[in-house]
Amino acid sequence: MKVMVCLKQVPHQDAKLDINSDGTWIQEDNIKFEINSYDTYALEEALRIKDADADTEVVVVSIGPDRVTQALRTALGMGADRAVHVNDAEAFGSDALCVAKVLAAVAKAESPDLIFTGLMTDDGNSSAVPPMLAELIDVPSATGVLHTEAANGSLKVERELEGGAIEVVELPKPCLASIQTGANQVRYASLKGIMQAKKKPIDVKTAADLGVSDVASKATIDKVYSPPKNATADILSGSTDEIVSGLMGKIKELGVL
Amino acid sequence: MSNILIVAETQNGAIRECSYELVTLAQSLGGTVKSLVIGSGVGDLASQFAGKGGGETFVADDAAFANYSVDAWNKAIRAGVEASGADVVLISNTPQGWDVAPRIAAGLDVAFVSDCFNAEDQGGKLVCFRRVFNGKLDAQVTCGAGKAVLTVQPGSKEPFSGSGDGSTTALSVDLSGVRSKFVEIKQAESTGIDLTKADVVVSGGRGVGDPEKFPEVILPLANALGGAMGASRPVVDAGWLPHAHQVGSSGQVVTPKLYIACGISGAIQHLVGMKNSNYIIAINKDKDAPIFEVANLGVVGDLFEIVPALTAAVKAAKG
Ligand SMILES: Cc1cc2nc3c(=O)[nH]c(=O)nc-3n(C[C@H](O)[C@H](O)[C@H](O)COP(=O)(O)OP(=O)(O)OC[C@H]3O[C@@H](n4cnc5c(N)ncnc54)[C@H](O)[C@@H]3O)c2cc1C
Ligand SMILES: Nc1ncnc2c1ncn2[C@@H]1O[C@H](COP(=O)(O)O)[C@@H](O)[C@H]1O
Repeated sequence: MKVMVCLKQVPHQDAKLDINSDGTWIQEDNIKFEINSYDTYALEEALRIKDADADTEVVVVSIGPDRVTQALRTALGMGADRAVHVNDAEAFGSDALCVAKVLAAVAKAESPDLIFTGLMTDDGNSSAVPPMLAELIDVPSATGVLHTEAANGSLKVERELEGGAIEVVELPKPCLASIQTGANQVRYASLKGIMQAKKKPIDVKTAADLGVSDVASKATIDKVYSPPKNATADILSGSTDEIVSGLMGKIKELGVL
Repeated sequence: MSNILIVAETQNGAIRECSYELVTLAQSLGGTVKSLVIGSGVGDLASQFAGKGGGETFVADDAAFANYSVDAWNKAIRAGVEASGADVVLISNTPQGWDVAPRIAAGLDVAFVSDCFNAEDQGGKLVCFRRVFNGKLDAQVTCGAGKAVLTVQPGSKEPFSGSGDGSTTALSVDLSGVRSKFVEIKQAESTGIDLTKADVVVSGGRGVGDPEKFPEVILPLANALGGAMGASRPVVDAGWLPHAHQVGSSGQVVTPKLYIACGISGAIQHLVGMKNSNYIIAINKDKDAPIFEVANLGVVGDLFEIVPALTAAVKAAKG
């Protein structure tokens, strides 16, 4: 069995978000990056299939600039077998549909039995690439998956709905599942894993290598900005003692003591 | 915008409120509004929606639509887009919406913008507004020429409450080749902690940083106030606290007399679980954290300084 895992490298969740000079995205120089949180769960879900069946090959795919090598090395250190890095400035500056088109080209070349992605990215929050990718390669998909179970010809998944409800769906393989955070407990790369990862291949490609020529976005970001403050809290300031006495005043007034 | 198709969603035998929010948005965009209702035995619901702002409403009514299936919905919506001649398709960003909407856009090869809280027609261009970076920034996104599919954040518009004179039209959908198969809906097992009954909920987020800090810092304040301890999702995902503590769209929705958020940024999925609390105090070291927008009272500072000091003060006040 072959499992393809799509992962994006995104600004670290604690990175300071300064807006870039043309106002269209954040300033990405000199900040830390990490694997998108949702994608670490997707990778773990794939590695568990490999743990149970050693014949499984896990291929990680990422579109992004040079820095992405670091994320791919981490994924290989966790246990993925090889990586495909689409390093193409036009492809990673584009909208979800273009990203999906590039990933679809990789999927066509790889023909995996299963594709796991994250539900959403922590930067763009689009939650769009996975169903788009599934549509482009014409396979069934499920989003927000908390549990997967690979049976003979199919994948049984549990989707998270609202209010604690879970929807169980069966998808014939090949298929795609976008994984929700908390689906599993993500492993760390072991020291041995990190050493082994150095010898694992990372195949670097451009969109053109994959036969994708149209990477023009249909939806473009004009600008990003700090949300206008509609209502905002009264902010207590001063020493810790002063702040605590301000809080206590309110707590007493609310009558919850 | 010339032609808009609203994909209404049904739940427990009714049209969801967020579908009426789509009517409000569609009307603000201008143009002809048409709708689509998908389900089994949903004729009446469709007439209802048509008469309450949905306009000409296509009904994909088939036993095969008794339960949601991404392939079946994909086919029905594509048929609805074709029959309505829509340029803009509006779908609520619900678990159904986010599952199928991107497939529609990819299948049609058109622009897609997800989870918009607003959209405007600016001189014939569709301009959308959405949150990025989990609510820390907003983005303005413009769709190029051609059709567009948008998903819209539930709760971002007032639901339309007026009436209209729409009619319904049956839509036949070719359901051959549906692969995704519904098995069942189950309820996640509950573990007994009912945050909804507490007068005070003290919640910790990823900013608490370490599982040991919950019993050391967050729980003592909750106990001192006679309340319960809540958490944001990453805390639960990391296994620091059981799911029963989670507040938010995929956890519990709470409305206590007092909600104290410690080290929680205020992503929309957390806010929907607590923003209707009677009084909200937020403690966060980032002055721009979106939690301060729903809080009544805020402290910009280190929770590890404020929370223990506050706990001591509460204990002292109780004597
Ligand atoms: C479908 C779906 C469902 C979801 N359901 C839920 C849900 O039910 N509940 C939920 O909470 N989330 C949910 N989420 C996740 C949500 O999008 C956010 O990722 C999450 O709420 C962020 O949690 P957080 O605020 O604890 O972490 P972060 O966003 O990382 O924020 C941590 C905060 O801590 C602050 N901080 C750090 N250190 C300190 C300190 N020493 N003192 C004070 N402040 C400090 C930081 O400034 C920051 O603001 C869901 C997401 C999706 C896609
Ligand atoms: N640049 C990328 N490279 C690889 N996978 C990606 C990329 N962008 C998005 N994805 C995948 O698609 C998922 C959802 O992303 P999005 O639709 O952008 O929120 C992510 O969790 C990844 O699994």
